[in-house]
Amino acid sequence: MAIIEWLRVNWLNIAIPVFVFLGVFFISLWLRRVVYNALERWLKEGKTEIGTIIISVTRGPFLHWLLILGAYIALQVSVLISVLKPESRNLGGKILASIFIAYFGWILIRLSRELIQFYLNKTKAPQRVIMVTISIVQVTIIVIGVLILLELWGAPMTPILIVLIAAIIVAILVFRDIFPSLVSGFQLTQQKQIKTGDLIRLESGEEGRVEEITWRNTQIKTLEGNIIIIPNTKLMQTTIINYGKQPEVAKEPFQFSTRLHLKELTGLSAGNLSQLASRLKEVPDAVVYYHTHSFIEEYQFLTPEPTNDFALWVQDALGYDILAERLASIDTFEFPTVGALRQMIIGVIQDFLAQTSHEREAPSGNEFHFIKSISIVLPTPYVAHDLQEFVSILRRISIGSLYFHIFEAKLRLQRGTNDFSRWLEECLGEKELAEQITRLDPYNYTMENLREIIIQLCEKRL
Amino acid sequence: MNPKINVTDYEPIVGKSYIEELRMLAGRLSGKTILNINSTLVGGGVAEILSRLVPLLNQLGVDVRWQIISGDAQFFEVTKKLHNALHGKDESISDDEFSLFLETTERNLNQIDFSGDILLIHDPQPVALIAKKGDIGRKWIWRCHIDISHPDSRVWEFLKQFVINYDAGVLSSPNFAQELPIRQFFAPPSIDPLSDKNKELPAEAVDAVLAKYGLNRDKPLILQVSRFDWLKDPLGVIKAFELVRKNFACQLVLAGGTASDDPESGEVLEEVKERAGGNPDIHILDIPPGSDIDINALQRAATIIMQKSLREGFALTITEALWKAKPVVASAVGGIPLQVRNRLTGLLCHSIEGAAYASRQILANPEYGRWLGHNGREHIRQHFLITREIRDYLLIFLTLEHKEDVIYL
Repeated sequence: MAIIEWLRVNWLNIAIPVFVFLGVFFISLWLRRVVYNALERWLKEGKTEIGTIIISVTRGPFLHWLLILGAYIALQVSVLISVLKPESRNLGGKILASIFIAYFGWILIRLSRELIQFYLNKTKAPQRVIMVTISIVQVTIIVIGVLILLELWGAPMTPILIVLIAAIIVAILVFRDIFPSLVSGFQLTQQKQIKTGDLIRLESGEEGRVEEITWRNTQIKTLEGNIIIIPNTKLMQTTIINYGKQPEVAKEPFQFSTRLHLKELTGLSAGNLSQLASRLKEVPDAVVYYHTHSFIEEYQFLTPEPTNDFALWVQDALGYDILAERLASIDTFEFPTVGALRQMIIGVIQDFLAQTSHEREAPSGNEFHFIKSISIVLPTPYVAHDLQEFVSILRRISIGSLYFHIFEAKLRLQRGTNDFSRWLEECLGEKELAEQITRLDPYNYTMENLREIIIQLCEKRL
Repeated sequence: MNPKINVTDYEPIVGKSYIEELRMLAGRLSGKTILNINSTLVGGGVAEILSRLVPLLNQLGVDVRWQIISGDAQFFEVTKKLHNALHGKDESISDDEFSLFLETTERNLNQIDFSGDILLIHDPQPVALIAKKGDIGRKWIWRCHIDISHPDSRVWEFLKQFVINYDAGVLSSPNFAQELPIRQFFAPPSIDPLSDKNKELPAEAVDAVLAKYGLNRDKPLILQVSRFDWLKDPLGVIKAFELVRKNFACQLVLAGGTASDDPESGEVLEEVKERAGGNPDIHILDIPPGSDIDINALQRAATIIMQKSLREGFALTITEALWKAKPVVASAVGGIPLQVRNRLTGLLCHSIEGAAYASRQILANPEYGRWLGHNGREHIRQHFLITREIRDYLLIFLTLEHKEDVIYL
């Protein structure tokens, strides 16, 4: 009964705060509708997903915040009409403010997480970068929220701030190497300077494909198959040539080999043309091969290169200029086997001998010494999986490697054509390019010129 | 060898891929031990080559060792005679001296630790150690650094009985090859581009050496570097110079030394000085052994480098001259034609007049001289540097197990 009596006397003191609360509530509902409808209209025009995220995260909480505001205003009103004492109002106000701060902070954390994830995913940032960024923002919001709450409840701030600053300094010292890497990693991905799968060339001359970009390092697989791990900070400071994404992958990779050679002395020599022709019939193919190819490697720096050893000796030691010219003009490129080439050389010498009545002898010490070519073939670490890698490797392989795949493969190993053309056609379907390289007469170029011409032909296809 | 020199120091000279290939080859010899045996650790060309090659091969990861044979003075007198006889010089070697050679070899057979998978025996002095092959097997290579193109037949027959038991021989020139039942590889000598004699020198260092010997920096300089020996034809060089000087103001430097084991060299020096007379443009420089920087500077200051020898071994002085991109005028003897391709990497001559004519061509056409010099340097870079000699040795070691012409490793 006492309660009823109290309500009868004080109903106005209760009704006013309740009305105020309800009024604020309904105004809030209206306000939310107006604000969010306006926002949605604006978003439809702008087509931005960020706005959608903001709306979906804040729509529900927005009403709750206004309810808290309503309760707060009602609380203030109840004091004005002397329902509550000022001490109670202060306590209630602090509680409502604390709820608001905690709630607002929580929503802010959710919103920041959604926005960071959206933005960094769009830039294809590594997952580790996203997680670390979210954590940093969340911790920052929590710390600020806690500081505001402590301030609200009157806690002593100075020691807390000192502890906080000290903690920040310690964190900076501990993570001093990580932050620049993080920023660099972010920049690398955000600016899209390099991407996973790109073929890049570093300032140091190393070349390789980007295997992975983490938040601290970038991993590159070199053309030799080695893995290089470069801190992102260093990568940002260096000059990079980016050849771009991997083009069509070959059915089978091209394994580059290199060929080194030894000169084996046969102990056989010739002092005149008859002896030269006679010895030529009996020596192994490796001897004929040596004397028709040694000039290619011996005088790579000369343009045009000198001719084969037989022509040189016939001219220098015997003084037969016409025969020398005939021997020099034999087109080695035409012959499918060393045996066929040998027959041609012997034929030219014998034809000349048939027309010569008196044979000249080479001066003592100027005899022709028959030398045998011993080729030692080794696989190199270089393997090309596509045309781009093929060109990059072609730039750096040794002359021995180029020589092996062009000269030795065709004539000595009787593979019909050079190794490059075969691979380009069979494994990459580059028939036209393969034919262009096949048509090149390598005997007309220095090794370096040959390398450059093949690179240029390949680059036209890239 | 300068202990600071590393195999990677040669990368800027021969290219990274060249050194990479050396490492690849060295890797294939992993676990093998190579034992070099010669007659001395210091002095002489072989010791100098080994003192450079062994550390570099070790840096590449190849276990290369080096031992020497021991012998008394009498033994080395005999080996000196053998050496001269192989060069074609008439030497009377008694049966007792052959016996002394074999007895000393026998003592060394008992003293030397033959722990190696491949034994590389240098020159004739230790050649008979091959007798050990019967006991221990392994692969044996005879590395002959000397000219055996016209050997004394009695001495050669004596040495041949040992040589034919080796698995392979390595010779410095194609015309040294003999009809032998063993494989013979051709590996010419080389120079070290980082040695004092061949390294780059600043202009001030070159000027200082010219000042030291009283030479005029502004006058074209024709240089011949060789010990004072009739076979180097110093008087022919002076005659050629006098022919050139009729048309061109130039100076001649004959730089060399006198060898203590060659009593004739002092006599030659005196006669050359007399022949030069009071000509202020002819400078006869008796340079003591070990003056590598001085020789290097003189070669770098020269306009033309001449080697008008009547007989010659490989002529490393020509290799040094070409490496310094100098136009050379040289006789077509010994190993010179291997290095000088006439009109491509230098000019060959066969007479005093020919030497004078070639020199005039270069002095009248400095651009032609520079072109020859450039070609010469590239030729040396590719074929006559120490890196190529290292590669040849590695390839020979790896080839011993194979008989085919194309070997896949």
